[in-house]
Amino acid sequence: MEQKITRQQQNHSDIATRFLNFGCRVVLLGAISLLTVQVSTGQAFMTKNGHAEFKSRVPLHSFTGVSDDLVGAINLADSTIDFYIDLTTLKTGIGKRDKDMRITLETDEFPFAEFYGKMVTLFDPESEQSQDVQVAGVFTLHGVSKDISITATLEMRGDELHVSAFWKLNLRDYNIKPPRLLIIKVDEVQELSISGRLTSVSN
Amino acid sequence: MVVLVCLSSSVDAQIPRERANPGGPVFEVFWAPNIITTASVANVPKGNLNVTIMHVFGIATDGIKDLFGLDDPANIRIGFDYGVSDRVSIGFARSRFDKLFDFRFKANLLRQTRDGRIPLEVAIKGDMGIRTDEIEFDLKDRPNYLGAVLIGRKFSDVVSLQIVPMFSHFNTVFIEIGENEEVIKEENDHLALGIGGRFVLSTRIAVLFEYIPVFGSRSDGTRDEMGIALNLETGGHVFQLFLKTSTWLTEQHAISRNRDRFLAGDFRFGFTVNRVFSLASN
Repeated sequence: MEQKITRQQQNHSDIATRFLNFGCRVVLLGAISLLTVQVSTGQAFMTKNGHAEFKSRVPLHSFTGVSDDLVGAINLADSTIDFYIDLTTLKTGIGKRDKDMRITLETDEFPFAEFYGKMVTLFDPESEQSQDVQVAGVFTLHGVSKDISITATLEMRGDELHVSAFWKLNLRDYNIKPPRLLIIKVDEVQELSISGRLTSVSN
Repeated sequence: MVVLVCLSSSVDAQIPRERANPGGPVFEVFWAPNIITTASVANVPKGNLNVTIMHVFGIATDGIKDLFGLDDPANIRIGFDYGVSDRVSIGFARSRFDKLFDFRFKANLLRQTRDGRIPLEVAIKGDMGIRTDEIEFDLKDRPNYLGAVLIGRKFSDVVSLQIVPMFSHFNTVFIEIGENEEVIKEENDHLALGIGGRFVLSTRIAVLFEYIPVFGSRSDGTRDEMGIALNLETGGHVFQLFLKTSTWLTEQHAISRNRDRFLAGDFRFGFTVNRVFSLASN
């Protein structure tokens, strides 16, 4: 009888120990998770109203298309950079030209221009100096994806991460036939630039 | 661990791609601010200047002797409309006949949305014309007016339709004695319903029609305005080639002074060139 009682006590003791161990693990896991979340969200930045611009040239003339609907995120924890824009939000100042642009880019079928990639050189978020970083990734336009590498400028300003970048693309590379304005042909090479003030996603 | 994996994957994942403004206004219910004579619900975008050159010749069915109306006196109208906002435009124009200056505005009260939340475009238009020809009229006798409500809908990328209840008023009208000694009396006021539509044939070509029946009392001998047009769009231009009954190029004149019948072959050839300029700094 005594032996039985002892075994039962021992069993209770094992269960308590196992329960405590499990509890500790859960608490530890939770703490690690929370820390991870804090670190991740603290290093992730996002904007939904970044600025995007393209410049087109035709003989004796050039025009610019702009949008303030650039959506983008930068995660310093894993160096990922993700930007996209709804191409129908680009405005050139003339409604008819916007329509031509939508037709040329076939925005009903391919509504977005997007970039997804990583920073391949280091960025120091502790510094408030403007820093050039090399970014490599995939740029997709008109349903065609191309590997590109560009230089972006990043700068921490308080809680905000400011980003800007400039590059050129050839419309032919993305199966886009340069539009003609009567007999005038739009240059195949387009100058693109983006800029944005990204705020911490924890905000 | 599942929690961590979920968190990690959510951070690594791409942002879900979403259209910027799915409930925004539909694109181009009509290509130009006018159908033929009547205004369309399409307005001039903010900061844009739409320059319009309209030309309508004589009766085309008189044959080769006057080169299908091209030898007859043509009415010409040059107009300028500026987009104060994407919903409001103001403009003025000058027509050859009556040396008419007219000043107008158009305001879109409702914009049809792409998500169908608002199914119609609704706009109002006002136009005040003043004849400046050499006629013994006091200033108060010279004005004429138009008030219109434009109700349109883009049913698809191919079909757009609109109706336009409109009211016109002339401060001074004429009573004439006709060739058979009959009295021809003009009315000061006319009530009409513009009916118009567009059928898109390709990204650059569309066919349009308009018909403007008058209701109630009307000037003696006048007929309902009617016309068909071919629209050709090339970048910043919209060229409109049309056949229409009236030689007049403003709605108030077309509904109160047209004496020709389209279906009897009394139509005229004409064209309109719309050219858009941007006056806004980009």
